[in-house]
Amino acid sequence: MANLSVEICGVKFKNPLIAASGTYGFGREFDEIYDISQIGGISTKGLTLEPRLGNPVPRIAESSSVILNAVGLQNPGVEHFIKHDLPWLKEKGVVVIANVAGRTLEDYEGICKRLNGLVDMVELNISCPNVRAGGMALGIRPENIEEVTVLTKKQLTKTPLIVKLSPNVESIVTNAKAAERGGADCISLINTLTGMVIDIEKRKPVIANNTGGVSGAGIKPIAVRMVYEASHAVNIPVIGMGGIMTGEDAIEFMMAGASAVQVGTANFYDVNAMPKIINQMDSWLNKHNIKSVNEIVKTATLNG
Amino acid sequence: MMKELIATVKQNQLIAENIYSMTLTLPEGVGQIRGGQFLNLSVGDKVHLLKRPLGICKVEGDDVTVCYQLKGEGTRLLSQKVKGDKLSVLLPLGNGFILPQTAKNVAVIGGGVGVFPLISVIREHFGKVNFHSYIGFRNKDAVCLMEELEKSTTLTVTTDDGSVGIKGNAVSAYFADENKVKADLIIACGPPIMLKVLKQKLAEAGDKTPCLVSLEERMGCGIGACLVCVCKTTSGGNTRVCKDGPVFEIGEVEL
Repeated sequence: MANLSVEICGVKFKNPLIAASGTYGFGREFDEIYDISQIGGISTKGLTLEPRLGNPVPRIAESSSVILNAVGLQNPGVEHFIKHDLPWLKEKGVVVIANVAGRTLEDYEGICKRLNGLVDMVELNISCPNVRAGGMALGIRPENIEEVTVLTKKQLTKTPLIVKLSPNVESIVTNAKAAERGGADCISLINTLTGMVIDIEKRKPVIANNTGGVSGAGIKPIAVRMVYEASHAVNIPVIGMGGIMTGEDAIEFMMAGASAVQVGTANFYDVNAMPKIINQMDSWLNKHNIKSVNEIVKTATLNG
Repeated sequence: MMKELIATVKQNQLIAENIYSMTLTLPEGVGQIRGGQFLNLSVGDKVHLLKRPLGICKVEGDDVTVCYQLKGEGTRLLSQKVKGDKLSVLLPLGNGFILPQTAKNVAVIGGGVGVFPLISVIREHFGKVNFHSYIGFRNKDAVCLMEELEKSTTLTVTTDDGSVGIKGNAVSAYFADENKVKADLIIACGPPIMLKVLKQKLAEAGDKTPCLVSLEERMGCGIGACLVCVCKTTSGGNTRVCKDGPVFEIGEVEL
């Protein structure tokens, strides 16, 4: 049995597997199938200050090796989470990462202020339209990323801040550095890529929202490349994600530079994906005589 | 108890135009499966990451049967499975039709592929409840599973073109039946337009008979975590088709 435990920003995880936001709810449904205390952590469904109903249906589509979703941040609001889900999650003994979103910078400040000290970590979802920045997505321009990071970091005096980066950008390195400059304790990437699937009989997009976020096995090479580039550009820890389906995939991300990984779409493909991936990582490490998973982080080197 | 299992295909055959029936043998029991519950079935490759939610039609020991219509690539791949193939399946899912203990006469209104989950309800309560079924198919080529539907106490079949049974649809046949037994409960499943018309006609007729409908929606996880398959409620919120449903009181949801 290899040592799978990792520590990020002083937070201890029993293993480097974190459920990715939006695929795992607040963990209750998966706990009906397996004891979720087996996994390292949960990044919650994206939370906003007020409850949100989200987008019209259909909210999902499929393409080769990927899926697309446009749920539109349906969530019960941060107060409901604090009252009903957080105490239950804390008892489970998993690291609780609150994934937070907003429409304005004030929303982000408000929700971080409310969650400060209550959760283990906060993960900023900054791919939502921002009113103050003139309709540009908050997570695309480096100056906006830095601004929202500075403002939220001020509120999070007791809780480490993860900034989740969008891949739909000009330079992931520039944006990773912007988050670091703004005071992020950690970055996570990649969020979904924007895509579209058209029903050729109806000549209309399958998803009611027209576009959706592309995730799943097919995006993995893009994600690995971006994790490699970002982790070699900053001095803060990186959480990698994007198409992880197996233990070997998780190892690949960690070699690219991730200190921990998130698993999302795989939870749909196989409801037991996360416990299986943990076992597969353990087997791989044992087979290679590696005692601790930390030994593999950022060990991939480029061809000369 | 909800489990993800590797099931073995026992049979997979065409039973009507574009309609297949697949029986899967489960490697272990999953406890009781209620009529109207569904399963989430992998199409058996690593390219299609989503499972297909299919209403359970029959349960016989550790064998479960689902019926599906060819719709796209996923169902086409399913149709090519042969005896002995292994498929990952998550079941049982959803609430199913919960019949009150007092229900003696139940009207069953089904249209098209919506008929399949209703069959599991008729089978579950066979001999204990009188089922008065109104079943609509597109035409004679779409008619299937008559041996199961004939387990109903009374059965009215309709087709859009009149090639079998009465010309019309299941909802109009129910309302047109002057000799119908007063039902304690209506259960219905079918295309969205059928359920919408059923709701309108019940309201117009001032018919207060309790009515349960089973809904269909594109799903992600199938267990209530991802919030992909929601339906609007009449109280202004959202409800999850996979976890809170797929069966709802007709007055509870926007159709």
